Amino acid sequence: MQRFILNRRQMLGGLAAGAGLSLLGPMGRASAAVSEIVWATWDSNGHPEYVEAFEKATGTKVKLSFLSSEDAQFAALKTGSASDWDVVNPSLNQARRYIKAGELMPLDLTKVPNLAHMYDVFKATEKVKGEDGQTYAIPYLWGLNPIVYRADIHTEEPTYSTLFDPKFKGQLAMRDYALESIAIAALHIGIPRDRAFLLTSDELAEVKKALIAQKPLLRTYWQTIGDLTNLIATGEVTAAFSWRVPYDALKDKMKVAMAKPKAGIMGWCDCFAIPSSLPDEKIETAYKFADYLLGADYAATIAEIGNYATTSSIIRDKLTPEKQEAIFIDDLSVMQNFMWPEAPENYSEWLKVWNEVKAA
Amino acid sequence: MTFRQRHLALPVVVAIVAGCIAPLAVLVAFSFYEVEDFDLIPAFSFRAWGDLATSTTDWFLIGKAVLSGVATTVFTALLGFPVALALTRLAASAKGLAIIVLLTPLYTGEIVRIYAWRIVLGGEGLVNTLLLALGLIDEPLKFLLFSPFTIGLVLTYNNLPFMVLAIWVSAEMVDRRLIEAARDLGARPVDAFFRVIFPLTTPGLAAGSLTVFALSAGEMLTPSLLGGTSGATAMALVDNLFGTAFDWPLASALALALLATLFLVASAMAGLLLRLKGARAVIGRA
Repeated sequence: MQRFILNRRQMLGGLAAGAGLSLLGPMGRASAAVSEIVWATWDSNGHPEYVEAFEKATGTKVKLSFLSSEDAQFAALKTGSASDWDVVNPSLNQARRYIKAGELMPLDLTKVPNLAHMYDVFKATEKVKGEDGQTYAIPYLWGLNPIVYRADIHTEEPTYSTLFDPKFKGQLAMRDYALESIAIAALHIGIPRDRAFLLTSDELAEVKKALIAQKPLLRTYWQTIGDLTNLIATGEVTAAFSWRVPYDALKDKMKVAMAKPKAGIMGWCDCFAIPSSLPDEKIETAYKFADYLLGADYAATIAEIGNYATTSSIIRDKLTPEKQEAIFIDDLSVMQNFMWPEAPENYSEWLKVWNEVKAA
Repeated sequence: MTFRQRHLALPVVVAIVAGCIAPLAVLVAFSFYEVEDFDLIPAFSFRAWGDLATSTTDWFLIGKAVLSGVATTVFTALLGFPVALALTRLAASAKGLAIIVLLTPLYTGEIVRIYAWRIVLGGEGLVNTLLLALGLIDEPLKFLLFSPFTIGLVLTYNNLPFMVLAIWVSAEMVDRRLIEAARDLGARPVDAFFRVIFPLTTPGLAAGSLTVFALSAGEMLTPSLLGGTSGATAMALVDNLFGTAFDWPLASALALALLATLFLVASAMAGLLLRLKGARAVIGRA
């Protein structure tokens, strides 16, 4: 059986051979310094001011190419339609998908000295490793997905079970996303957090029942974080599994708060990775950029402007207690409660369950 | 039609084949592929079609698309007829203005309209605030937003201009003297409508119906952002299968099944409408 694998490398190779472009290759490589690298990332991770220090120090301009979705990034790498990307941004929970598909280059970690400052929980993760034991991605930015709630309505700090509580009928919302919503329902029915992403078919069936029972209690399923912010701002929703964005946007206008459920906190984490097709002359610059993302300048600016923490402890002790609290690094024990949403082996079964719940 | 005139259509035919038939052929091919570790593998597998055939969710959502399309068509037709007929009675100068007003909702983007509806229909929105202030209700009406009612209302609103325009064009061509003759011969206004105006405007109704049906049956954003927990659509499922699930074969099979179903229903609708007596008179054949 002939495999139909069209990745960037082959696509580019084919194009170059077909059009005789390979003749131009040596000419393109003549200049020594890399004048520009293209970083495919989320707009919240890559404000121009976040990379200014890197541009000054290296003379290499960082061109930002904003992602619309994780799936779009994967598809672009897979089909070769993003051939100008030099550094990409897989999430920790999806990294394995890119590695399996052969889209990423194995990394030489000795070229990233700032790795020494990385928090242990990120150092220890196996999710960035391939079956060959090599590392293909470096976690650099993380955060928590809390329950955002109206503190004037919910006098007790909500837990995941609040999202299934008939007392709050018509005021609750879940994200329209199988992975997190199913795991939350699993925690609610008492499945321990280390197994929340490893559900058996029987457990999935139980979770499905809980989610269908939850449906009449929900105002809606939210689609984008702007959508949820709007729902909370207009009073439609008083508690929802969320990202921190609505909290930051609304905290000066209404009584909103963030809950970090003890049952397990959903974390998100973005990784640095190099597409397997990156030309040799750009590789050194890409490593420098990885080291920059784990360094002090990036950590300081993104903590200040974006309220996000990097995976490096490099500036933690220099931040004010308020700032530490704002970016969830005041109490590092939070990292013991982390759950990393992870695409399970039977993910297609999860998606099926989720679609059945929504159509029920 | 002369030989030469007919050839003018050729570029369009080529564009339709390239832009529509070719991607469809690709979908057909993909629907027999297999997926392994996020790679599409050419094969002749019936896995996707088997999954589709046994999935009650998929067929439920396809049925929902048909129902949504038919219901929106009926609502827009009922509301659109009086508007279209009223338009024909306007002075020529007022007609231009009326058409611009009619199309106003379409000038704003769909997302803008969706968030505007939330402001109008929400628990703390305009309608509820007004009803509460008038003392007509004691609690906000929750069903106004995030319910099947909302989907029906907004799809009808969004599609009404297409129906009105199509009927209006047909109604303009109805010879006034026929209506006057009917009235002179003793027909009540209702009879004049059903026996003269309605039959003669069926081609417009058919054009409007097919447009509205196609637009509303395939609508995804409005149900997902205004329909609450009842906002699941077949289109959103296709999107999910192509993206998140990376199950291109099943996505292709579902898309083709949806397309075929909508095509059949649309054909049946067209057949029924154009078989009406008046339509035959206007079209002059069949």
